[in-house]
Amino acid sequence: MLTLIKREIEDHIVYFLVAVIFAAMLVATEISVFYKIGSDEPQSASFNGPPAVAFLVLLFVVIWSTLGYCAMGATQMYTDRTRKISALLSTLPVSRGQILLARIITGILGILTVQVPFVITTAVLLYIFVPPVPIYGGFIFEIFARVFLTSFACYCIGLQTGWNPSKITPTLGGLVLTCLFVPLVQIKGFGLEGLFILSLFIAASLICTWHKFRSASL
Amino acid sequence: MDKKVIQIENLVKYYDGRCVLDGINLKVPEGCIYGLLGRNGAGKTTIIRILLGIETATRGQTYLLGTESGRLSSKQRGRIGYVAEAHNLIQSYKVGRLIKLCKGLSLQWNEEFFNHLIETFRLPMDRKVSQLSTGMRAELNLALAMAIDPQLLILDDPTLGLDTVARRQFLELAIELLQKDGRTILFSSHILSDVERIADRIGILVAGKLVVDCPLEELKSRVKKLRLIFPEEAPESLHLTEIINQQKQGREMVVTIANLNKQKRAVIDTFKPSSCTEIPMSLEDIFIECTKPVPAAVVD
Repeated sequence: MLTLIKREIEDHIVYFLVAVIFAAMLVATEISVFYKIGSDEPQSASFNGPPAVAFLVLLFVVIWSTLGYCAMGATQMYTDRTRKISALLSTLPVSRGQILLARIITGILGILTVQVPFVITTAVLLYIFVPPVPIYGGFIFEIFARVFLTSFACYCIGLQTGWNPSKITPTLGGLVLTCLFVPLVQIKGFGLEGLFILSLFIAASLICTWHKFRSASL
Repeated sequence: MDKKVIQIENLVKYYDGRCVLDGINLKVPEGCIYGLLGRNGAGKTTIIRILLGIETATRGQTYLLGTESGRLSSKQRGRIGYVAEAHNLIQSYKVGRLIKLCKGLSLQWNEEFFNHLIETFRLPMDRKVSQLSTGMRAELNLALAMAIDPQLLILDDPTLGLDTVARRQFLELAIELLQKDGRTILFSSHILSDVERIADRIGILVAGKLVVDCPLEELKSRVKKLRLIFPEEAPESLHLTEIINQQKQGREMVVTIANLNKQKRAVIDTFKPSSCTEIPMSLEDIFIECTKPVPAAVVD
């Protein structure tokens, strides 16, 4: 399994590099914002200086966390199909289930590459700088769960649309579905119901991908 | 030789409504080198892909090493070496990386033998698979399949793209290594001389049907080609069963017949041919006769 995960990471290293860059940017921005809030300087009314940069970074991270992971899933499946990677792997002592599981674990690792440093930094900064507005205990976990599930759902969309020999379906299909899906999540909000619906969507998506991958001719 | 390493039961496969395999039944015992022959599109690769679980069957069952193809465990897969027709290796990988990947995923790896093969084939480790010639890709694929010391080796036209020297070298290696411990080979090829050289048993596929399935020597002894000269015009038909092919020209008739016995000879004698001579047949001749439209079955 480790060999399979390693292969997936090496084949899609670009996504991990971008994730690391975004994670670094996010952490740096977060630290600067917390320092700014923590200092006694009066808050800037307009979006100048760090808040504007923070907004821009956040925007990039949101785009990455949705479209980026959708693209990652689609690329993993598309390159597998076109380069006949699973056709070779399945003739080795590896089952299709292991191939797909390694792929999904790689996707999760890709998502965590951005989120774990962000969550740890947030927790540390909240500990150092007492926020002006009181925050309840499970705040960090809830934010983490919400963003993780949204990113993972987008990744699942990519897995679904990527298993296609044509280039148009994985690209446009993934893009359109993600663009529809993310605003729906935003409108619905991130309550418990939202998390539940996201989890259901992910489970259905993974079952569908597994069925498609298991029964396909490689 | 009782243990069946490969078993196919009533295998049917349809592609887009077209029947590619039509009720194939096949058993390959342990230690056998089975040569699967057939023209392009006869269904050889499809059988192999279904056996390995890469392709799904429309109907029927296939078993490898006693287990249904779709339920093979990792351990069982690790005992099967496979060389694909088009050498489906990951083209974007460097040779070294591909070897590392296959080695990492294999349950056993004969390093010494693999290095010997790599040296023999002079494969460059730092080149991408896509940059290798077809012959080199075939050699790499063979080396990877052999390195795992397979109990069953499935070769789908493995010598395709190899030069004469490399082909002979490979065949000798395959025979030497795999026959030593009574291992089994399923060998599909277009080069009939290769099959004739190494196969114990022959199967000939015609339009999705297995029309021949018997030991090579038996096939040669059972299929006969006769040249009959008649005193007058040759008859339209000899009224015999199992005629594979029949050609008539004036007084001469050339007939290829399966399972020629005393009874059949007696029937031929009733037409009073002035001469009856047997034309020697190579495997290639038998193959050509069998793959002509509507051949008679020579299945055990």
